[in-house]
Amino acid sequence: MFFRKVFTAIIITASLASCKKVIESEPTHQLDGSTRFTSIEDFDFGLTGAYALFRSANYYGSGSNAFVNLPDMLSDNLNETSESLGNYQNLSTWRYAEDEPNIDATWQAAYRIISQANLVLRDIDDFSATDGGAVNRIKAQALAIRAMVHFDLLRYWAEEYDRNSAKPGIPYITVFDYEQKPPRGTVKEAYDHIEADLQQARGLMNSGLDKTINASGKAYIDIQGVHAIMARVFLYSNQLDSAIKYSTIVINSIPLSTRTNFPNIWTDASTAEVIWSVSFNAGEGRIGDPVYFVPNNRSSYRPNPALVTMYDPINDVRYGSYFQVRSNRLVVSKYLAKAAQVPRPDGVTNFKAFRTCEMYLIRAEAYARKGGTNEVSALTDLNTLRSVRIAGFIPGTETGSALINAIAIERRKELICEGHRWFDLKRTTKTIIRSSCSVFCSLDPTSRAWTWPIPIDEINANPDILPQNPGY
Amino acid sequence: MKRLLLIISMCVVGVSFARAQEIKGRVTDARDGTPISNVNVTIKGTKTGTTTDADGRFTIKASAEATLVFSSVGFSEQEVKVTGTNMNVALEFAQRNLQEVVVTGYGSRSRRQVAGAITKVNGEEVKLQPVASFDKLLQGKVPGLLSQSQSGQPGAAADVTIRGKGSINGSNAPLYIIDGIQVSAGDFSTINPADIESYNVLKDASATSIYGSRGANGVIVINTKRGAAGKTTVNYDFQYGSSALPHNNLKLMNSPEKLDYELNYDRPDGMNPFQWTPAEVDSLSKIDNNLDEIIFKKGKTQQHQLSFSGGNEKTRFYISGSIFDQEGIVISTGLKRYTGRINLENSFGDFRVGLNATYGYSRFIGTRENDQYIGSPLNAINWFNPYVTLYDKDGNYQDDFLQGQPNPLRELLENFSNTDQMKGVGSVFLEWKIPWVKGLRAKTLWGGDVTEDEALGYLDRTTNAGGQSTGARGQLSRAYARTFRYTGTTSVSYQRTFGDHDLNVSGYNEIIQSKSESFGFTGYGLVGPFKNEAGITPGTPTNGFIPTVAGTATENGLLSWFVDGTYGYRKKYYLSAGFRRDGSSRFGEDNKHANFYNVGASWILTEEDIFKQETKWMNELKLRVSYGTVGNQLGIGNYASLELLNSTVYNGVGGLVLAQLPYPQLKWETKEMFNAGIDFAVLDNRIRGTFDYYNNKTVDLFLDKQLSRTSGFASITANLGKLQNAGIEASISAEIIRSQNLNWSVNANYTYNKNKILDQAGQDENISGLFINKVGERANSLYVVRYAGVDPANGDALYYMKDGKTTTNIYDPSEAVIVGTIDPPQFGGFGTNINWKGIELDALFTYTLGGVIYNNDRFNVEFPGYWFSRVASSLLTEWQQPGDVTDIPSPFNDFHGETTRFVEKTDHLRLRNVTLSYSLPKSVLQRMKISSLKVFAQGQNLKVWHNFQGWDPEITTGILGGAQYPQLKTITFGLSLGL
Repeated sequence: MFFRKVFTAIIITASLASCKKVIESEPTHQLDGSTRFTSIEDFDFGLTGAYALFRSANYYGSGSNAFVNLPDMLSDNLNETSESLGNYQNLSTWRYAEDEPNIDATWQAAYRIISQANLVLRDIDDFSATDGGAVNRIKAQALAIRAMVHFDLLRYWAEEYDRNSAKPGIPYITVFDYEQKPPRGTVKEAYDHIEADLQQARGLMNSGLDKTINASGKAYIDIQGVHAIMARVFLYSNQLDSAIKYSTIVINSIPLSTRTNFPNIWTDASTAEVIWSVSFNAGEGRIGDPVYFVPNNRSSYRPNPALVTMYDPINDVRYGSYFQVRSNRLVVSKYLAKAAQVPRPDGVTNFKAFRTCEMYLIRAEAYARKGGTNEVSALTDLNTLRSVRIAGFIPGTETGSALINAIAIERRKELICEGHRWFDLKRTTKTIIRSSCSVFCSLDPTSRAWTWPIPIDEINANPDILPQNPGY
Repeated sequence: MKRLLLIISMCVVGVSFARAQEIKGRVTDARDGTPISNVNVTIKGTKTGTTTDADGRFTIKASAEATLVFSSVGFSEQEVKVTGTNMNVALEFAQRNLQEVVVTGYGSRSRRQVAGAITKVNGEEVKLQPVASFDKLLQGKVPGLLSQSQSGQPGAAADVTIRGKGSINGSNAPLYIIDGIQVSAGDFSTINPADIESYNVLKDASATSIYGSRGANGVIVINTKRGAAGKTTVNYDFQYGSSALPHNNLKLMNSPEKLDYELNYDRPDGMNPFQWTPAEVDSLSKIDNNLDEIIFKKGKTQQHQLSFSGGNEKTRFYISGSIFDQEGIVISTGLKRYTGRINLENSFGDFRVGLNATYGYSRFIGTRENDQYIGSPLNAINWFNPYVTLYDKDGNYQDDFLQGQPNPLRELLENFSNTDQMKGVGSVFLEWKIPWVKGLRAKTLWGGDVTEDEALGYLDRTTNAGGQSTGARGQLSRAYARTFRYTGTTSVSYQRTFGDHDLNVSGYNEIIQSKSESFGFTGYGLVGPFKNEAGITPGTPTNGFIPTVAGTATENGLLSWFVDGTYGYRKKYYLSAGFRRDGSSRFGEDNKHANFYNVGASWILTEEDIFKQETKWMNELKLRVSYGTVGNQLGIGNYASLELLNSTVYNGVGGLVLAQLPYPQLKWETKEMFNAGIDFAVLDNRIRGTFDYYNNKTVDLFLDKQLSRTSGFASITANLGKLQNAGIEASISAEIIRSQNLNWSVNANYTYNKNKILDQAGQDENISGLFINKVGERANSLYVVRYAGVDPANGDALYYMKDGKTTTNIYDPSEAVIVGTIDPPQFGGFGTNINWKGIELDALFTYTLGGVIYNNDRFNVEFPGYWFSRVASSLLTEWQQPGDVTDIPSPFNDFHGETTRFVEKTDHLRLRNVTLSYSLPKSVLQRMKISSLKVFAQGQNLKVWHNFQGWDPEITTGILGGAQYPQLKTITFGLSLGL
């Protein structure tokens, strides 16, 4: 019977079809990492990935905004409103414990960026012979990113910031190895690494690159970016001369914005005085959600009224650029939209992580803290900044503690919602008194809240991380 | 009760023929004399045979010395010696366990031969339930099987586990096979349950090991209906009814209570924070926005099904079509489904060829559930202030402006989303009875499960959700997803009986390959009148409406060789064994292949002579034992062992970001399964039961190996640790009254499962949020600080320290302890059936015991920081002044929700289904010239007894986040008509 032959043929074909191919499958919409990083282009892709991770929800992106608005939410710059859904209430009322999810997430988001930077640094030296310029360019940025993120971790998790402090620091991760269980080390050790990485990044950026890092825009950390990070680090670590040295290099390279141009900085129409601007585009998140959630007109945290009265609303260009009355209340409108979207704001703007004004404030503070004749230089810097911002400003004449105080006030006014206030209070007075506030209005210097707890999940997975910070 | 074995009425012709003669006869049901169709009538010792027609009549040629064998599913097999040319035979209805045909993996056997633990549910038992997804129908019917439904949305799937959760991070879903083809679990809303003939639930290694790396969670083998030789029968089923929300135990404040709370309770924000004037209070307290009645409605359900079946000795067919239309209880939601099926089979020469195919289309319109989004209507029902109306005085939508909660009605009516699914499951087979070797057959079966989903979502620019779109002006998204999985099984089998020896051996080759692809876009700037693609504003670099486009594809494959066999001696001793070797694309090169095996034995004691003589009350007694290994490869990604880089963009430049750490040693989870069981029937088969003991150990568990977060990652999937599930299952049924006019039976089943983590590769405990996996304890245990009430002196919340005695007012997460497991260890069902002259009452209860969940839904209305929205009535007992004795702490106290205050038991008893029906008697039917007519009324989930503070305690994820869409209370009326 003919059909029997057909059937036999079908059976045999069916069995032959079961060749090995069925169980070999390669991912197509993701890439197998073991087959990549074989050309210098992949290291460029990886570096782009590291920058993209800065947008994560617990770093600069939508979410707890750990390094944009949260330091202001934790401080006396912002007051929680009845519009708030309470998502960050545990943070802004300093009631966090070691199981606080946002703290855990920030810890992990920071180390995620570091991990990606280390992935880029792994094996990149294999290409230095063939692609020296590219290696210098990529490696320098990866090192600068690694150093800066570790420094950000230190800002939240270290008890104190002195350069040689023996207090527990944060693990400084320099190799891509997910099995490691590092100890905290000391603050001093962390600074050793941060400075070494930054110096190396600086050296590489000065030793021949294949192309300019910021050919247009300021989306990447270039040599001035490295200097700006160094200036900030040296101010925190109380290395005042170095702080002065590097802030001066930046100031001389990137001048302050004019008053006319100043509002354009906040709509990303201008990069005047911007040193590093973390790029956000539509669909990539927003940086201003806790202060003003543009899509739904929700202001969970409003500017503190006492702070607002410190601005000259007519002559100070910052007032109009930073605040707006929307739906009958004053909100922080720094991050409303990019220029084209201003008529219909969507909340998408870049995060200006470093600006020249901060360099003036660093230098002024460093001079003032050095004291003596340096106060003249401090006052000059402070007056320069104030004159640029405030029309018809009559130069101040502060000295001594009044000068230090004036610099702190200017810092507060200039850098609101740019991720500074909490750390500035922490490294100086360690006292918070929130005005116009009914509950959780003050934080005294002895509170455990000043130092974030090491997340419980980290301790569980890595007991070597102990000691925990005091009070948790 | 008289045991009616058989009645043979003889019409003796008086002449005995030595040669073949034509014998005519009729087969009837011994209980009521109605004819039985499709009874197999064969001449003993030959292949000659026929089947009875719709009137129970048959004609066969047989010699006068021959013996005829009458067999039909559900009736005792009878052997009758030929006594004349006209034989009327009455078959006894006695569905003896041992004669039931069950599906065992790739074939079917009589229960006699089976050493494994298999429970069969006939489709007829459950098909009337007005539930779209058939996995929900099995709850309470199968010992060991727990089918829980967190979602009551029409078409939502259940969460099914068999004999406990054997995996912590992998999948616990059983493998579903329909007519030999693997189908995707949890995606059944486009399959018509009424087409299903039987569900065979395979539970132990002897039954599941042959499925190798897919069988560890149990296998549910589904056979669809077949036609039978004889007159074509036509059946029409119809039902109509409505669904409603069940009762909510969580009591929320009404307008006067909420205003009382705002005005007279001291809080950090002060009394009367909205600064209502007395006149406003007066007018607001009279408002009740009736949110429940505006947002919710009675959902209508209707169902039509028409089927045709019939055939002759060579060809048999079953054809059906159905319409299912079920509205949700949230306005504008529901499921509409249309299905068709054709099952065909033909024999020619030595061959048999067949086709089983179904194709369906469904449209699902859902609402957001199980989230904490303020725009979800199911959250609005809890959170919207009761004195804020949904419309303002001009008739416009009104948000809850006091707290910025969007108007749920606007979110529902102005936005829309629907998912269209097209699903086909089909297979063809060809079988050859190889003529040269008796008992040898070859078969090849190929088929596929193809699912295409198209999801459309529109968010209007005026809504809360639409305001959050990129560009803040609404969005339109459309997403396509297609999954195609084919299965090809080719086998050679040999089956022979040599005297006392029964032998059955098969060898197989199988290929399964699955590919999923998806594509979608989201367009923004819906600023014009269009609510479709035409309304999308083309994106420019400056307008912020750049559309997003996404797509992905992934595939996996399995290549296997396997053998299985059964040997029986004297129809009382049986041995079975199987071996399977699987290769999978999911794992690293070193661990691509794995072997699985099983052995089983059974002994039918009642076949022993001594038993037959001594214990006549014992009708059946069978012992079974089995051991084997089965694998699990589901629940991890298709490329879980690789270091994966994802695409990303920064500043308009493409990049790569590390998304997954590599773990090349990754391999399957393996479950070592032991099972021992007893089946029995006593007292004239009136009481039947099954007991099973099982002890399953999963080794090489997929477990998150916790990493120091300084790696940037929380964990990595590895094969770590061991998990045990041991338990007992019992099911028993009894026919209390068995008579011509009145039948009454009861049945019950019970399962106890003890889950225990044996090892986690050195990690004593893994804590993840509120949950802990700790060695020596049950998996998925809730791990929180115990709440000890309120200190009357100062209103502080008190917490127990680890010792369970000392209380403190300081919340410290390190005082957390295990307070229970989210997987109920005890569950089952019981039911009864009473039939009196065609009036039938059938009831099914299901229950679970011993589980707990975290009620975050209640947290959201008891958290004093949310005073600006509607809150629970319990806050009216909030601590206000020294001496207040209450369970609700002062609002000035630091609030910590992760305590037992919000942990609740899920124990419940559910009247899952009750059906009252009336089948017209034969006499009436004959006058109407129809073969059957049944009218019925039924209620689904009519009553659930529980103490849970919410709608329904079936929360499979362990945390009720919010926006619960409970299982609905449904009442329907219908009829079944047979022509």
